[in-house]
Amino acid sequence: MKREVQAILLVLLGSAVLRISLFSDTYLRYVRAALRPYLITAGVLVVALGVLTAVAALRGRQPAEHDGHGHDHGHSHAHGPRIAWLLALPAVVILLVAPPALGSYTAQRAGNTVAKPDGATGFPPLPAGDPLSLPLSEFEVRADWDPAKPLRDRRVQLLGFVTPKSGGGWYVTRLVISCCAADAVTYKVEIRGAQMPPANSWVTVTGVWQPEADAGRSDAVPVLNASQVVPVPQPRDPYA
Amino acid sequence: MAEQSQSMITSDRPAQAGPADGAGPPPTRRGRIGSLELLVVGLVVLMAGRQWLAGWFTAPGVQAWATVFVAICVQAVPFLVLGTLLSAAITALVPASFLQRALPRRPVLAVPAAGLAGAVLPGCECASVPVADGLMARGVAPAAALAFLLSAPAINPVVLTATAVAFPGRPEVVLARFAASLVTAVVVGWLWARFGRPEWLRPSARRERPDGEGRWTAFRGAFVHEFLHASGFLVIGGITAATLNVVVPRQWLGRLAGLPGVSVLVLALLAVVLAVCSEADAFVAASLSAFPLAARLAFMVVGPMVDVKLVAMQAGTFGWSFAWRFSATTLTVAVAASALAGWWLL
Repeated sequence: MKREVQAILLVLLGSAVLRISLFSDTYLRYVRAALRPYLITAGVLVVALGVLTAVAALRGRQPAEHDGHGHDHGHSHAHGPRIAWLLALPAVVILLVAPPALGSYTAQRAGNTVAKPDGATGFPPLPAGDPLSLPLSEFEVRADWDPAKPLRDRRVQLLGFVTPKSGGGWYVTRLVISCCAADAVTYKVEIRGAQMPPANSWVTVTGVWQPEADAGRSDAVPVLNASQVVPVPQPRDPYA
Repeated sequence: MAEQSQSMITSDRPAQAGPADGAGPPPTRRGRIGSLELLVVGLVVLMAGRQWLAGWFTAPGVQAWATVFVAICVQAVPFLVLGTLLSAAITALVPASFLQRALPRRPVLAVPAAGLAGAVLPGCECASVPVADGLMARGVAPAAALAFLLSAPAINPVVLTATAVAFPGRPEVVLARFAASLVTAVVVGWLWARFGRPEWLRPSARRERPDGEGRWTAFRGAFVHEFLHASGFLVIGGITAATLNVVVPRQWLGRLAGLPGVSVLVLALLAVVLAVCSEADAFVAASLSAFPLAARLAFMVVGPMVDVKLVAMQAGTFGWSFAWRFSATTLTVAVAASALAGWWLL
């Protein structure tokens, strides 16, 4: 692999990283928000490295030109590892495709596991508000594990995307990541009493928790009797 | 090895002396299609066929695959840059004599010292492979460098803090993770010192390279070469991990959770397959609440040491014959260590 090619691959990869982190919020589809400064630093470094490599390749070419062999074997760094061709793959997928955030396909296939909160310190009381806006994960933990059952008869509002339930019905779902999309954990709440909006569309659902017999098991999916479903745009950070 | 690399650094072979001893690749002939032309044409075709390309990515399964693949690559880039920078800095700036003095001479002692030193590299596993390679290039005994390679992503403060956050009110989980990971790293290091054969370990390209340029050029050259190399193998690992991540259904996992002996093995294998970054695996482990704590501990001990992404990167750096032996040994030791720690501490 010639040094010019190495340079182009480095610049491609670096600018792909910069394009999704510095020039847009697209990186939030793939990684957590806190990674942004590191992505920008790494992107700048990789681009700079590519430019330096290109400059060195152009300079290094001069003395090698007159030896009759053509160019670019002046010294032994000139040929990079062949495996580096693979760098083109993520760069091209990022720059030309930019796949969307994970959605109902992933949520459908994930098991629903609401970890029982380990610290046996109990829960603080729920804040006031009607309807009470809660993160979906919080709603699910409270519904499954809070012994005080504070959700009983409270009107709550949940934000998430629509996932069809196999065999009819639907869930409002959130995926939560801690590092990147490969470690996404699914939270889902079954919605009753409302027509299913298109799969993957984002909605806020207002309704009242419907206690079920299987609450208190980590694979239980809580149920919300919906009174209102409103379509909303996808939030800036789909996993937050 | 130490003397060899030392002599290579200090040899003042002129940089423009042409291909070294006929070992260099053959010169590109004029008129043949070279890699540069291929790349440029390929990129132009892809740009022109952008719509067609996007059409490939409309099926939900393919989309999910692409998202996970991009996510793994993107989140690894900063750590890869950090790891390669450190490695290149070690190669170009740290004198070999310093490292040899810093570590105990006898492998029996050098291995645990290097294992403990892993606690200071605040990265995940992508960073540790190039650093271990750089350490070996500077004359550190392979057994010690390998103990460092295993322990660094597992017991550094960032990872232990994440574990404490993921398991609130359960400091014994953090302790068990630290102990089981360190024990695994040290035991595997000792096993390598006792049974490892040098010929399994492919000398890295960097070590063969004559080094007559200035320090900055050597640094940049080592950095570019190693970054390209490591990230190429990262892409292979990313493809494998994304495929398994999308293909392996999580639902059947719940059914295996109840079986006591099996559950540890199941989550150890899940860690290999999912290739979750070590800074995040505690949260995934916490979410696998159907499993006993010992099994979730195995997930956190195995994950930073053996996973498909890491095996690909190790194979790229040290060769296949090393990677499979090393990973199989590490997996066995890690499962045993977590089962023990789980039984004792949790």
